[in-house]
Amino acid sequence: MRLRGVQRYHWARDVDEALSLLSAYQGKGALLAGGVDLARSPRTDIEGLIDLTGLGLSYVREEEEGGLRVGATTTLAALLGRPETESYAGGVLREALQTVACPAIRHMATLGGAVVSAHPWADIPTLLVALDARGRWRGEREGKAELWDLYQKEFRRIFQAAVLLEIELPPWEGVGAFEKIGRNAGDIALLNACAGLRMSEGRIAEARVAVGARPQRGERLRWLEEALVGEKPNEKLWEKVKEEVRARIEVGEDRRASAEWRREAAGVLVARALVRAAGKAGA
Amino acid sequence: MKIYFELNGRPQYVEVQPGESLLSLLRRLGTKSVREGCGMGECGCCVILLEGKPVRSCILFAPKVQGKKVTTVEGLGSLDNPHPLQRAFVEAGAVQCGFCTPGMILTAYALLAENPSPTPQEVRDYLLGNICRCTGYNKIVDAVLLAAAWKGEGRW
Amino acid sequence: MVIQLGRPWEVVGQNVPKVDGIPLAMGQPKFTLDMEIPGALIGKLLYSPHAHAEIISIDASEAERVPGVACILHHGNVPRVPYTTAGQGWPEPSPYDTVLFDRKVRYVGDRVAAVAAETEEAAWEALQKIRVEYRVLPAVLTPEEALAPGAPVIHDEPDAQGIYEAARNIAAAVDVVVGDLDQGFAESDVVVETTCEVPYVQHAALEPHCVAAYFDEDGRLVLRSSTQVPFHVRRIVARVLGIPLHRIRVVKPRIGGGFGSKQEVILEPIAAALAIRTGRPVVMNLTREEVFVSTRTRHPFRVRAKLGAKKDGTLHAIEMEAISCAGAYGPHSGTVLYNVGAKALPLYNKAKHLRFHGKAVYANLPVAGAYRGYGATQGFFALEVAMDELAEKCGMDPLALRLKNHIRAGETSPLFEKLGEGREGKPQLIRSCALAECLRIGAERFGWHEKRKGPRWEGSWAYGVGMACAMQGSGITGIDMATATLIMNEDGSFRLLIGATDLGTGADTVLAQIAAEALGIPLEKISVYSSDTDFTPFDKGAYASSTTYVSGNAVLLAAERVKGQIREVAAQILGEPVEHLELAREKVVSRQSGRAMSFEEIGHRAFYVADQRHIMASASFTCPESPPPFAAFFCEVGVDTETGAVRVEKFVAAADCGQPIHPKLAEGQLEGAVAQGIGHALFEEMRFSARGRCVNPTFFDYRVPTSLDVPDLEVILVPSEEPTGPFGAKSIGEVGINGPLPAIANAIYHAVGVRLTRAPFTPERVLQALRKGRAKR
Repeated sequence: MRLRGVQRYHWARDVDEALSLLSAYQGKGALLAGGVDLARSPRTDIEGLIDLTGLGLSYVREEEEGGLRVGATTTLAALLGRPETESYAGGVLREALQTVACPAIRHMATLGGAVVSAHPWADIPTLLVALDARGRWRGEREGKAELWDLYQKEFRRIFQAAVLLEIELPPWEGVGAFEKIGRNAGDIALLNACAGLRMSEGRIAEARVAVGARPQRGERLRWLEEALVGEKPNEKLWEKVKEEVRARIEVGEDRRASAEWRREAAGVLVARALVRAAGKAGA
Repeated sequence: MKIYFELNGRPQYVEVQPGESLLSLLRRLGTKSVREGCGMGECGCCVILLEGKPVRSCILFAPKVQGKKVTTVEGLGSLDNPHPLQRAFVEAGAVQCGFCTPGMILTAYALLAENPSPTPQEVRDYLLGNICRCTGYNKIVDAVLLAAAWKGEGRW
Repeated sequence: MVIQLGRPWEVVGQNVPKVDGIPLAMGQPKFTLDMEIPGALIGKLLYSPHAHAEIISIDASEAERVPGVACILHHGNVPRVPYTTAGQGWPEPSPYDTVLFDRKVRYVGDRVAAVAAETEEAAWEALQKIRVEYRVLPAVLTPEEALAPGAPVIHDEPDAQGIYEAARNIAAAVDVVVGDLDQGFAESDVVVETTCEVPYVQHAALEPHCVAAYFDEDGRLVLRSSTQVPFHVRRIVARVLGIPLHRIRVVKPRIGGGFGSKQEVILEPIAAALAIRTGRPVVMNLTREEVFVSTRTRHPFRVRAKLGAKKDGTLHAIEMEAISCAGAYGPHSGTVLYNVGAKALPLYNKAKHLRFHGKAVYANLPVAGAYRGYGATQGFFALEVAMDELAEKCGMDPLALRLKNHIRAGETSPLFEKLGEGREGKPQLIRSCALAECLRIGAERFGWHEKRKGPRWEGSWAYGVGMACAMQGSGITGIDMATATLIMNEDGSFRLLIGATDLGTGADTVLAQIAAEALGIPLEKISVYSSDTDFTPFDKGAYASSTTYVSGNAVLLAAERVKGQIREVAAQILGEPVEHLELAREKVVSRQSGRAMSFEEIGHRAFYVADQRHIMASASFTCPESPPPFAAFFCEVGVDTETGAVRVEKFVAAADCGQPIHPKLAEGQLEGAVAQGIGHALFEEMRFSARGRCVNPTFFDYRVPTSLDVPDLEVILVPSEEPTGPFGAKSIGEVGINGPLPAIANAIYHAVGVRLTRAPFTPERVLQALRKGRAKR
């Protein structure tokens, strides 16, 4: 635990109370669900903690058309334990969530927490932007937007004064796969990739590709997704994907890996995720 | 602030600092089996069971246990009547320095509650978040499988 | 797996329950910080933000005014006594280049001041308020920079002693020659040369360093510390603070691992100084980050190994050059350096021409110290990779090359005498060596010959196999001493008092087993009390793989003396000559008359009835030789040729530790050491910024092996008959860590045809090597 100087701990009884407490603290208050990121944060200016786990936001609901609505304070373990998680998009949620840390962390960390802290090295942002996930929140106003869009723009400013309520995974007939390389088991990603395919008559009707921990946060490779439409999955295609990703991916260096290695690995991970997605789709 | 929770079956009504970790609270209460190896939730020495699920107490805010049940190894068995998991750890040679042992045992306890006859791979998977620097893990896996076998035989 | 020799021991060689096993599994409060000390202050340290700087001024006045602050120490208000923090016997073979607090800081993380306060918050606040003015000096971050002409001198203080050449930043140096190296290489048919590098690596013992300093009811200072060397702590604290030694007591409770990081006297003098200054108990415990940066690490090394051999693979000339980075201070710098050659080179004693030379060089980086393997690890990395290259050049199986060259029982090496630890050693004959058996059995269990036929491919993954051999020692010849005291209770049970330090290794159990076996009693009849400088006799401490062998021999001698006393008392009672009497199963029996007396009867009578005496004896042992354990390692790796990721698929280690006293504990040492070695090989590395700051001082970014990283690992204990060891035992604590680095490097070569010589073999490094070299397909 690094957090110092906390004076008060509140359990918010409803969203309005959470918001008014947050506002009263004038920047020195923090919302928390699992509190994992907050506990590791070296901040000394936080005076009030506002616990959101009493707001009834821990749930997983399957919609009629097959989409999922996940309450923001649902723990990763709870999400993993649900059969809906297995059936969504070919089990890609389970694949990704199982690579996150370890059981103990998964019993503490929440999906909403992961969305809001959005660490660039994290796996959940890559997963969710690939799946066109949407966030619904309430601050001054109700808001709803696709996460990939929020992450491009001002998600930090929004969540500084809003409570994330729910993450929506829209219904999708495609199937996905998640790839990750860390330094050893249980590590964060040196690089991660999530790819999904929707097939039609043996050809790719729709593709989703996101690469994260580059070290930048997960982003969609729209150019690749467009180029894949209409293609027939085969080895030559995947070789071309590797080349193209290597040539065009935006990567950088940090203390964990060089840009050069990430460039190479990105091509490989994207191709592997696509190969497995294609396999799941029966292609 | 005061919170109420249950520790190893006993009610506790205690004063806590709002930003205090559960680790700090539990040690203050005399539960010394819960240990700090890194203080950042990365090694597993501080693992306890919250409502039966393993969590890292060094990064858990103490107020969060309000109204809940906390289990540590002190609640699993006693010196003259150790829990079979504890016995299994000693018999299999899984205890060297013992610093990681309480967290390891509690995690194994949670695993066996969910999955009473795990494969060695499943054991390794579940214990991923508990670092041991002494044993190289082989005998820890042996211990969990031994305890699972005993459970299968109805010994606990 | 244990191969039994069918020896008739009842307690030795059995997997008895560890004496502290159940209490540890119960989470009993047996560790340093588990003891509540009412009124204890909390001690914290202020560290340098600069790699190299002079302290122009320290102003603690504002900090002292923080409510709850009891005392602040810095160079201005403590005695200046140069010492070494190395926990070694006197005279410590390490430079006296450290003082409690200096006017200079030599690395980011060096100590500047200490605060004792009522609460952590107060201490923390005070640390923020200590005003230090630095004059930043140029820093050197590698041995090359430090050795370059004109480099800043890190130890320019006039009162340092024992530094080899301070003006050139050389903490220690060695150059030992046997025969004529040039001639040797000239006469060789095949010559190979390789240079291997080991970076800064952490012990990562799970319990951070901690100490509690308080005063007993007689006002004596008591230090309860997480230490491997309680007696050295007592001596060094006494000297540094100018306290009479008899006024200090050091107690080691259970500790959460050490691996060498606690063979140092780091926190104790400071906690003691704070306690003395305030007159109150002081508890100090370090955060993990502080452990990473401001305690000790392994010595980073660059080792060059050059081998010359005949066509048939017989080694003829070996040159090994080793350069280490000692860090900012030099504890263990000379002894680790010597050990690189002293432990690695004698393994191949056929070579007639040898040269071992090198330097330990200061740099403005964290301080290296003792770490399991103690130089042998770094030496074997280079040596065993070179042997792999030699095998290839000679067209031989690496296994055959080892069999041809390794030392055998009855043989010696000139290096035993020429290279002791930090000084001249003693000649030594190998009396037991089952390495050939280890190689054969290990190869069989591993499936070496089949797997060695060629790398196999699965998609982009290439699988290959590699092997390595190693040896270590059992104690340090002629230098370090252990003593044991065995005391009989009136009911025929015993108390064993040993200074020996159980770090979790199971030493208490193993030594009790030795005593129980010698006395002919069940293990439950012995209670062990260890590592308390007031109540247990002297023991050097836990290092150099010496506890089973050196402390064990002391226990054995003490037991023999006690048996003699028991016989004497029994002789008096029974009225028969001592020669008729035998001890077995808690009884004394006369071979002549068949009359018997139980230990209980003897003990009771000796306490209360007639010719009263308390049956007890002490014995000391200093080993005249250090019989090496031997080990063979076999490893299969998979290499993902598209990303460079390496996975250990299978690992077999077969070791000869003589007679394992407790097979499961011995296996545990081997398994743990191999796991640690896998970490060294694949992902452990401390990294530094250009200004000398460690950038990954947490487990988040410094990865330690998890349960999923240690694969199919099998260890085999292969017995041998070591006549000088207690019940034939040798050591096992360190040798296991010497195998993984070379075995994995050699396996990667077999898989993909590239030699990785710089640890760790990260995906990045492997991929780079693949792109540069050729990947066999």
